Amino acid sequence: MKKDIKESPLFWPAKMKRNVLLVLDETLIPAQVKYIKVTDMHSAVEVIRQMKTRAFGQLLVVLNTFLLEINKSPGLSGKHLLHRLEKTALALNRSRPTFPFAEVTGIVLRWAKQAFAEDADIGIFVRKNIMGYLAGIRAKRLERITKIAQVIRDGDTILTHCNVSGELAMAADICRRQKKRIYFFATETRPYLQGAKLTYWELKRMGADVTLVADNAVGSLMSDGLIDKIIVGSDRSCANGDFANKIGTYQIAVLAKEFRVPFYVLTQPSDKVKSGKDIPIEIRDSKELLTFGGKRIVRGRVKGFYPGFDVVPAKFITKQIAIDVR
Amino acid sequence: MFANKTIILVQGVVHDSLWDILKEKQTQDIFILEGRPYLYPAKHSTREAIRRKITPTLIADNMAGFLFYKNFVKEVWLAYHLADKTGALCDIGALILGVLGKRHRIPVYLYPSGQKTKFLGRGKDLHTFNGVPAVPGNVRAYVPLVDRVPMTYITRIHSGRKSCGT
Repeated sequence: MKKDIKESPLFWPAKMKRNVLLVLDETLIPAQVKYIKVTDMHSAVEVIRQMKTRAFGQLLVVLNTFLLEINKSPGLSGKHLLHRLEKTALALNRSRPTFPFAEVTGIVLRWAKQAFAEDADIGIFVRKNIMGYLAGIRAKRLERITKIAQVIRDGDTILTHCNVSGELAMAADICRRQKKRIYFFATETRPYLQGAKLTYWELKRMGADVTLVADNAVGSLMSDGLIDKIIVGSDRSCANGDFANKIGTYQIAVLAKEFRVPFYVLTQPSDKVKSGKDIPIEIRDSKELLTFGGKRIVRGRVKGFYPGFDVVPAKFITKQIAIDVR
Repeated sequence: MFANKTIILVQGVVHDSLWDILKEKQTQDIFILEGRPYLYPAKHSTREAIRRKITPTLIADNMAGFLFYKNFVKEVWLAYHLADKTGALCDIGALILGVLGKRHRIPVYLYPSGQKTKFLGRGKDLHTFNGVPAVPGNVRAYVPLVDRVPMTYITRIHSGRKSCGT
């Protein structure tokens, strides 16, 4: 079954090719499918900060950046390589606040320290572990796609927000081949319009029936009884089941509760953060909100406020479709 | 970031007289939802606020929930077109604010709209953002322009300038 799944470019948006990390520039989709060359931790931090990649793409960039740094360090002593990897981790951890970078880099540093303590070759040991870890995540995500497809019933209309990094579109393809008639509404997802640009594009590419709506239309859709299920992704999970996801997710969850629409979330469980209140929320530059395509939306002395993420309490979730990547 | 229960949210194109009332109440800051697809509130409401020396802060339509979750919101004003005992017809997005207001026990006031609206926009209204192409022209979109907000989500419906001082 897994082999049959048609892959979306957003499912695995960063790949190593001859010592260069190719990162899908998600800001150019749907106009272009173009990859950015990342060669070291500095360019890796830049693609993350500029949101050229986001969500799952960030995890791939983080892990592959360690591979880049290892590949650049032949002949370096264990002590120096460990120091370089620690420096890499620090730079990545500081790139953006909400995604759990420290959790991911912490795993890699544990491997490096273990190899150092055992007097093993750090480069070989860490590389092998990263490759194995990535292969494991890939298998688990493919498995989760089949679970998403199981949740979706014939005739369902699904509302989604922002972008679920390929998984929903690939589940839609499975459903299509299972002859399930399903329909999607994708929110635009201001301010970068990831729903309009990425989700609409990849669902359409998979042959799904999708309609775009503005972010402010979700109440209308739910109160009119047009939505059977909501499926969203998550950027960070907490020990108590709360999660963080793209701004706009909280109000969708509240509406879902009010109008009794089942609310599903794709999560990666973690116990590092107790509850949603402990998740640091990134407040981005208001310029990103006040201008679009280089053109300012408003005139005069208008301020803007752009929180990048919402926290959604666990009580709003009908079911988590989880993969454990710890 | 902000103090608890200090933010006044305004959604939709309210009649200009609301801005006079907010000024009389010595309101200094106001949060305005941009109002897709045409961004009329972003353009009109910010201008009216600035005219009265009220500092407007613009947020996208998907950001109100964040302010409620953080307990920053003090009250909500929604523009309405028609109202009766069962509720009101408001600009699209009003229902979201109504539901959030109810859940967080924040008053939701309705004020007459400052402009007419259609019930439904055209799909191509979402193809551009602020006149800038946003998605390809073949993207299919559904563009409702009004929300029906049941009375259960409304604290008070104002009929206009006179009743607002009460």
